[in-house]
Amino acid sequence: MVEVLDVSKRYGRVQALSGVSLTAEKGRVLGLLGQNGAGKTTLLNIITGCLAPSSGSVKLGGKDPLLNPAQAKRALGYMPEHPPLYDEMTVEEYLRFASELKNVPRADIPGHVREIMRSTGLTEMRLRLLSHLSKGYRQRVGLAQALCGNPEVLVFDEPTVGLDPKQITEIRALIKTLSKEHTIIFSSHILPEVRQLCDSVAILHRGELKLFAALGSLGGGSATVHCRIQGEAKKLHPALQHLDDLQSMQALPSSEHGVIAVSLTFGKTAMPEKQVFTLCSAMGTPILRMTRHEDDLEQIFLQAIAE
Amino acid sequence: MKTVFKREFLSFFRTPIGYVFIGVFTALSGVIFYLYNIVELSGELLIFLSQLTLLLMLLSPLLTMRLLSEETRKQSEKLLLSSPVPLPSIILGKFLAAAAVMLIAIALTNVCTVIMMIYGTVFVGEWFVGYLGFTLQAMSFLAIDMFLTCFTVSQASAALLAFAGNLVLWMIDLIADAVPVTAVANILQFLSLYDRYEPFILGQLSFASISFFVAFIALFVIATMRLLDARRFSQGGAV
Repeated sequence: MVEVLDVSKRYGRVQALSGVSLTAEKGRVLGLLGQNGAGKTTLLNIITGCLAPSSGSVKLGGKDPLLNPAQAKRALGYMPEHPPLYDEMTVEEYLRFASELKNVPRADIPGHVREIMRSTGLTEMRLRLLSHLSKGYRQRVGLAQALCGNPEVLVFDEPTVGLDPKQITEIRALIKTLSKEHTIIFSSHILPEVRQLCDSVAILHRGELKLFAALGSLGGGSATVHCRIQGEAKKLHPALQHLDDLQSMQALPSSEHGVIAVSLTFGKTAMPEKQVFTLCSAMGTPILRMTRHEDDLEQIFLQAIAE
Repeated sequence: MKTVFKREFLSFFRTPIGYVFIGVFTALSGVIFYLYNIVELSGELLIFLSQLTLLLMLLSPLLTMRLLSEETRKQSEKLLLSSPVPLPSIILGKFLAAAAVMLIAIALTNVCTVIMMIYGTVFVGEWFVGYLGFTLQAMSFLAIDMFLTCFTVSQASAALLAFAGNLVLWMIDLIADAVPVTAVANILQFLSLYDRYEPFILGQLSFASISFFVAFIALFVIATMRLLDARRFSQGGAV
């Protein structure tokens, strides 16, 4: 468990963080959202003990990383935005070094490193120099070093930044797998990524915590469906309004004759696509396009950071 | 500390720096040996060692320039700072790695000692005192150079800063002579590495000088630790 208690950090005249308090429960994933310069990296550096807060404190498993660094940091794996790599080392040497730093018993290191390389897809690259790796593999090695010592808490600073779509998918899948056994805090400004991976979300703006909530509780879990249906508005609109758990219906402009466009917002108990499909099928009005928009994290984010 | 030491020591030999340092140090010590001992037909080991100080001044920044500045620039320091290894062990591991490379270079100068032993006489006591003083002086240069490199993230700037520091330290007795205020002159004189090294050149085992060098090394290693620790608490950006 990670507890951040009323943490503030000041750099000269700049208040980088002010009074941030949040917790990351064991076995949960906390996403840290914010624009560039919002204070995400500063907060992560404070959580990991790389920086000291101006006031407030952090507890990793009940231990303060500044007062009890050896005990607190034993439970911690940190992957900064720029993976902390030594280019002259091979992947395997580097992970052995990281394991030694994390006090993994000497006899266990070869097996431990092998297992980490297997789980992060680095086995084939184990003898490559870090300087010869692609951006994606460097990011993976950065993630792999965070896993050394099997820490309970994993902290990732923008783990998918700069990766290609395939690499992003792979890293996200890996984080998803890790989330089963670890407490994970990661920062991002990619909203779908946060939605996909996190149990709770904290939104920072100019050093202030604007929102800290479980992701499921945001926006009441509503879903919006945008449809283009071939048929007459005077028949379709009344029929659509009788769908179960429909919260609102809004007609959208349509340029095609005989085609209507609507935005339907449902509560979280409804099955929007199934209902719309069944209705249109019964009425003989073909659905030309139907897209679902989950409760809009983008809107929530924009509202949270609005002045 | 052992983990950090091992990594740093090996990294000197996985990059050209360790080879360049040892190679250039050995080659130039050979030149000095040729000029001061062979050409002059002198078997004075201590004169040879006293001339090697110039090499320390010039070359020790090569060993320290990337120890800390490179870590800061590439942000690899975060791996160390977020690990359970205490900061003093990290700094000590790095210092000892540079010191080990320096000791290899110093040990290689004993080729000249062997030549002197073949063609003349080298007393064991003279050899011990000379090399003890020279090694302590070398470690002092490394300690202050490592401290000075904390102030920059560029390797070139770090090397330049360290070289300037070495030069000032070596010339400090000359500066002291030029300072009209007696108290200041005395303090500068006290800090002079040249003055502290002089007894060893004369073949004297000076416990005062040994204590000074040990305290000097400890002071700058601890100052490096404190400076880096203070950065974490900094309220005004980079220290």
